[in-house]
Amino acid sequence: MKTLNRFLIRLRNLVTGQRGDQRLREELEDHVAREAEANIQAGMSEEEARRRARMKLGATEAIREQYHAEEGLPLLECLVQDTRFSLRQMRRSPGFTLVVVLTMALGIAATTTMFTVVYSTLLRSLPYPQSERIVAIHDTRITGRSAGGLMTGPRFYDIAARNRSFSSLAILYFDESTLIAGKKLPVYVKGAGANAGFWDVFATAPMLGRVFDARDDAPHAPQTVVLSYPGWQRLFGGDPNVIGEQVKLGQQTATIVGVMPRGFSASGDVELWHAAQSTPNSWGNDRGDDQRDANVFGRLRLGVTLAQAQGDLDRIGEQLRREYPSSDGAWRFTSETLREHWYGNVQPALVALLIASALLLMIACINVANLLLSRATTRQREVALRRALGASGRRVAFQFCVESVLLALAGGGTGILLAFVLTRIAATSLPGILGQSGTIHMDGIVTGVALLISVATGIVFGVVPVLETRKVQLHSALKQGDTRLGGAAGNWLRSVLVGVQVGLSLVLLVGASLLAESLWNLMKQPLGFEPEHLLTVRVLLPWDTTPEAVANFYNDVQQRIENLPGVEAAGQISAPPVTDFHVRGSFNADWLPQVANQPAVSAEIRNIAGNLLVAIGTPLLAGRDFSAADQISTVPPFLVNEALVREYLPKGDPIGHHLLLDGQAHEIVGVVADVRGVSGTIAAEPGPVVYWPANAHGGWHRYFLVRTKVPPEQLAKSIREQVYQSDPQQSVGEIGTMDQLLGDAVAQPRLNAAIVVSFAGVALLLACIGIYGVVSYLAAQRTQEIGVRMALGATRADITRFFVRRAMVPAAIGLATGTMVSLVVNRLLRSQLYGVQPDDLRLYLASLLVLLAPLLVATLRPAIRAGKTEPMEALRAE
Amino acid sequence: MKAKKDVQPGTLALMVLKTLDVMGELHGYGIARRIEQISGDILFVNQGTLYPVLLRLEQEGAIASEWGPSENNRRARFYKLTRAGRKLLETEKHDWEQKAAIIARFFEVKAEDLA
Repeated sequence: MKTLNRFLIRLRNLVTGQRGDQRLREELEDHVAREAEANIQAGMSEEEARRRARMKLGATEAIREQYHAEEGLPLLECLVQDTRFSLRQMRRSPGFTLVVVLTMALGIAATTTMFTVVYSTLLRSLPYPQSERIVAIHDTRITGRSAGGLMTGPRFYDIAARNRSFSSLAILYFDESTLIAGKKLPVYVKGAGANAGFWDVFATAPMLGRVFDARDDAPHAPQTVVLSYPGWQRLFGGDPNVIGEQVKLGQQTATIVGVMPRGFSASGDVELWHAAQSTPNSWGNDRGDDQRDANVFGRLRLGVTLAQAQGDLDRIGEQLRREYPSSDGAWRFTSETLREHWYGNVQPALVALLIASALLLMIACINVANLLLSRATTRQREVALRRALGASGRRVAFQFCVESVLLALAGGGTGILLAFVLTRIAATSLPGILGQSGTIHMDGIVTGVALLISVATGIVFGVVPVLETRKVQLHSALKQGDTRLGGAAGNWLRSVLVGVQVGLSLVLLVGASLLAESLWNLMKQPLGFEPEHLLTVRVLLPWDTTPEAVANFYNDVQQRIENLPGVEAAGQISAPPVTDFHVRGSFNADWLPQVANQPAVSAEIRNIAGNLLVAIGTPLLAGRDFSAADQISTVPPFLVNEALVREYLPKGDPIGHHLLLDGQAHEIVGVVADVRGVSGTIAAEPGPVVYWPANAHGGWHRYFLVRTKVPPEQLAKSIREQVYQSDPQQSVGEIGTMDQLLGDAVAQPRLNAAIVVSFAGVALLLACIGIYGVVSYLAAQRTQEIGVRMALGATRADITRFFVRRAMVPAAIGLATGTMVSLVVNRLLRSQLYGVQPDDLRLYLASLLVLLAPLLVATLRPAIRAGKTEPMEALRAE
Repeated sequence: MKAKKDVQPGTLALMVLKTLDVMGELHGYGIARRIEQISGDILFVNQGTLYPVLLRLEQEGAIASEWGPSENNRRARFYKLTRAGRKLLETEKHDWEQKAAIIARFFEVKAEDLA
């Protein structure tokens, strides 16, 4: 209380500038006068009396200083004073200030942006109440390939009935359909069917209206629809009166009951949710793999851990394996947190990028420290002068620290502004789940951390020049000119800084080359199809359309597209390569032993029709393509890919063999080349695929793949027109090019490589600037020494060699250490690499060369200049 | 000649408080004079150091001051103890006595007492 009171009084004095100077002077005068009077009475002369009185009082200036110190807040006053002084210093050397601020800003911006991304995805709690209790439940094949974690409906309902761990369970399946609102044209929409539990699991209140509940979700209840914010904007222009509106969704009447807030992205980029209205009996006795389309989430009961829930799921999985060995025998349930489910894939990349940005920040800071150090050396005379005038060592050090922190704050502030812009760009343009709206944004915590980091770096690297000022010898520094010969202290520090900088740059360069090589490997590998001039057109019918109507519609559209000018070939497929689409089937084979409940062959299934193989450019390696008769056959033949033959029939000819399904034998009539990315990522080795005649299999949703002679985009409009003319009730979904799809597929590795390569480039530049600065500085400092050495017989080459050695020895040590660190750190990249090992010697050598060449140039220039010194001039400079 | 010693800052404050307690209202010179007399001229090289101490005590609320007429046609700043000051003096006095007593006991101890 007392201390606070005193602080407040002092603060008021400081702010109001109120000073008790007058009061003190009066009091002191009074004091002296009284003492003098007393002295006179004691018999002294008036002059002597006053002199004695003054002596007894003591040094007035010291008293006044003390009095002031009591009056105000000396630390704060120093701070204000030093800040003013530092700002003046910064204005006086704008070039220096600019370089320091920009260098810092670069490092801070890179780190802050990366930290924002990491914080938004891996650290901040996800935007749902108690999001840590939300669990993603996957269905996983015990051995072999799964179906992207998707579950069958009956298994979901079995979990719902038997679990003891979840307070609510969500089932969600994606289904695209056609929406007709009022008299508007049919629109293709990306939707999702969800149960009422979905809203309990994610527990987010709608922005308008309501979400659907158990009554809406009951079979045959009136169909209800909840719009997502982007869906509301695109389909209804953000009309707030949309609640209650009747629409046709997939030719069924449905009522819009709610709109979710912006940023609610619990199920990707869907535009609407409709009630799934399914029950445990919706699938009859069918528990087969073709029903595997459900994403399942659960909300843990209070106090139940993920491990306990997994134990519960294991128990249920075991029961189901026993009860339904033919359909469920090969499957088990796995679970992970929502965060792992969404961001688990990108986590290693994000962490690696964050480390890369931190390395860049360190390199930037070292450059700044080097600059500050050089400046501190040139300011030795100023320091000496201030010390001689009575400033304490601490006072000078404090001032230097204030200067460093100010510079760091200016750099940090600029960096944060830059990061703000970068984050805004990143939020919309990052690939995949990272770019989903509302995912990435900066907040107070991130900004605070960034500011803290800049101040911390300011203090840490501000200490460097302070150490330098400590060594100032008053007598020698004050003398005009620096006559020391060689061995200047502080140079070891510079060498260490150079070494560290070069080492860190190497780590970044190696990382960059690894990622670039991976990207190159990924992009140059044969895809099994020709992505150029290939248009992908999404077309779908309501799921309950009769097989005849489906076949008629697609045959008609196929004809119309083939007749368009500019079309070379067209075909249909259930999903083109590099889309995240999974339909797996299990078969027996007539050449393999048949074991009950253990089908021998597991493969992805794609339905194809039209002239697909020609259109997509996948070669037929053996046998024949589907004929028109195959498309209407009741037991249609199959095409298989190379991978299936490799895996299941490595030494035989598959043509004429049969795959067995439900007691029917489907003949294999042809073998096609492997296509990369059949079920998503092109980094995975192609697995077995079975191609099925689409019309015989009854696929109601398809893509048309159209190979064009003209730029593919030109055909988009006429294709839409043709579909509309064929059936005005249907919409055409996204029309894209295969090149775009491929671009999206390698977006993340491309981004990783681009970021790390640019970091490495900047690091290289900074390292060159750093080493150039140090050698120039050394040379300038030793002009006289060079003169002496040359006078004693050293050649120009000797001098150049001397400086090159001075710079290259720490650089070499740095490179050696950097190599070691790279071997450790770049292991983190392993999951991001493709076709290259993290300790690939070639890349290390290449990185070393890339780093050494410019470093050598940066060293040689000032070193050669030093060698050209005229000895007489150098000596005379004294 | 006896070597004069400068008072420790904390001690000086205590002396000021006690002086004001005994003498009532007093100006700076009076306080200095009084301390000098009582301490028998051993303390106090620079009497001026008194004034920063007075300022601090005032900021702490232990003493209050106001201008008053002085005998030599000047005004003088008169200091007096506040209630808080009196309390502070009490506790400080108690502390000091305790400390002195402990130190005194240590000086009295002989080797055989500790055996």
